[in-house]
Amino acid sequence: MDIKTLLCELSSRVSVGNISEADDYAAEYLSKYAKTYKSDNGAVIATLKGKSDYTLMLDAHIDEVAFVVTGVDGDGFVTVNTCGGIDIRTLPAKSVTIHSKQKVTGVFCSIPPHLSPEDTDFEHITDFKIDSMLQSKAKEIISVGDFVTFNTKPYELLNGRLSGKSFDDRAGCTVLLELAKRLSKKELPFNVTFVLSDMEELGLRGAKTASYEVSPDEAIAIDVSFGDAPDVSSDDCGKLSNRATIRTSPVLDKAVTNKLFDIAKQNSIPYQSEVMGRSTGTNSDIISVNKSGVKTGLVSIPIRNMHTDNEVIDVADIESVCDLLEKYILSRGVMNV
Amino acid sequence: MFDILKSLCCIDGISGDEQNVREYIISQIKDCCEYKVDNIGNIIVFKKGKKRPFKKLMLDAHMDEVGFIITGIDDNGFLKFTNIGSIETAVMLSRHVLINGKINGVIGSKPIHLTHGEESKKLPKADTLYIDIGAKSKEDAEKYVRLGDSAVMVSDYTDNGEVIMSKALDDRIGCAVLIKMLKEYNEYDFYASFSVQEEIGLRGAKVSAYAIDPDSAIVIEGTTAGDIAGTPENKSVCNLNKGAVVSFMDRATLYDKEYYNLALNSKLKVQPKRAATGGNDAGSVHLSKKGVKTLSVSAPCRYIHSQSSVVSKSDIKAVYDLVLYMSDLILSKGV
Repeated sequence: MDIKTLLCELSSRVSVGNISEADDYAAEYLSKYAKTYKSDNGAVIATLKGKSDYTLMLDAHIDEVAFVVTGVDGDGFVTVNTCGGIDIRTLPAKSVTIHSKQKVTGVFCSIPPHLSPEDTDFEHITDFKIDSMLQSKAKEIISVGDFVTFNTKPYELLNGRLSGKSFDDRAGCTVLLELAKRLSKKELPFNVTFVLSDMEELGLRGAKTASYEVSPDEAIAIDVSFGDAPDVSSDDCGKLSNRATIRTSPVLDKAVTNKLFDIAKQNSIPYQSEVMGRSTGTNSDIISVNKSGVKTGLVSIPIRNMHTDNEVIDVADIESVCDLLEKYILSRGVMNV
Repeated sequence: MFDILKSLCCIDGISGDEQNVREYIISQIKDCCEYKVDNIGNIIVFKKGKKRPFKKLMLDAHMDEVGFIITGIDDNGFLKFTNIGSIETAVMLSRHVLINGKINGVIGSKPIHLTHGEESKKLPKADTLYIDIGAKSKEDAEKYVRLGDSAVMVSDYTDNGEVIMSKALDDRIGCAVLIKMLKEYNEYDFYASFSVQEEIGLRGAKVSAYAIDPDSAIVIEGTTAGDIAGTPENKSVCNLNKGAVVSFMDRATLYDKEYYNLALNSKLKVQPKRAATGGNDAGSVHLSKKGVKTLSVSAPCRYIHSQSSVVSKSDIKAVYDLVLYMSDLILSKGV
């Protein structure tokens, strides 16, 4: 399966809370190549054995930004809270799936112009309602605590670019699945453990327990980063289609980061660099302080419209991350540093 | 009728670019009536009945939907656009759009992580929005898109058995009802107009009403339903599942009181529109030539002019029933 198809399969599925469509799909895919299990802490964990006891962990989070039901009224309107950062200004008239006893298609209410003053503030998610289109039957079907997700199916733009939901971080998951396939045919210098972690959007929680469980010697997180767009300052973003973004930050291990740059240069793998003066906001922040500390790097993939249901990505950028990490692993990472 | 409605909603046809809608409608009606396409694109229809009517009746539904037109391409290949018909900025952010029926695009929106303070509470100005088609440069984009091209917001047509969610329900509902009338009502002669350019100023119906020269008219529409949780009764305008909506007045028309009362007293599932807001083709039709007695019958439509408008199937049936009832009354009794 090519990278684009794999990303689309993962993006079309859902992973939040107890809804684990994407997890199940990824676990089945990984189990073709590596010893795979689903941990009690919500992560999908797969390992390829290598020639030493040293373990490199690759992490991507599989959860997506979503909502959770906080109330249902007698006319079929549902109130929600967010799971992860969502720009509520983008919600009116957006269609969603409510994962109840049965899947329900609903829509975020859009207030007609005569009811909303010209300059309304968008303050709180609690001001929004979802119309379940079930009228009085909604209360029988939908419960408080049910999860709600966007239902965009991925679609193709020009130049190998795609748009869809939850590329953050199914793009990273795609890298892991592709690498498991590639590396399963190779003799590895050390163990490589693939972790699809949960609850990143709620504060890097899944990677905390998963990295404790795996207890790696070295780790690389793969996540997305801001891509260029007319309304985004060039200081805040990388460029779509400029390939793998190697990140530098005080929380990241210098040796790992330097080696990533070296491998890219030696193998003529195109890359871009993004430097941050603080923690990264990704799972690498929490993995690096696991137990007595883990040498951790971060590679990211630029996307536009992050945390919306129409994120934009270049598939070739994902491929370049796979190329970079494959070479990095086969050249022993920083095992001997 | 609902199969036809689904087909109609899935066709793209913004104001001034109704060609594909027109072709589909013609394919549906060509065997049951006489029709011609006029100079601005309206389909003018004559349906021969068994009997001659007491009054010349015109039924109207508009074919066009709201959407966008491409107005510029920047150096990085992002498209500038303006809306065709009224669309709120809030329903444009981060949407999948389709240009010319084939090029995918997305209206971009800045990541929440990079919006701060007041910016995160206020909508951006509509003229700062752009469409991303994945082009790498202006030259790249120009290979696929020309200034003046049409775009619509993409939606999945959803039918849960009782309620439909789709784009373009305003006014493909009217088109579907009118097609059913043309196929099934055979008592008296009547005329119909599938009109263009309603959303940019009730323009098509002005021309078709002139050509048909009716005594009476019924405009079939979708109208704003504000019956959303938390909205007071006096602001909700009309309600889903409470039947066909008839108007006494809107921003374009003061309706014929006799028709309004006859509709309300029909014992069918009818509700009055509880606000004098909006406007539709009646605004053009009722002032045509020496004036035309006009009624508008609408389906209540939540989130109108978005890609996720919501209507009830029972209301659409009620619209059909009322249009049939009032048409028969006008044609057979000459009211």
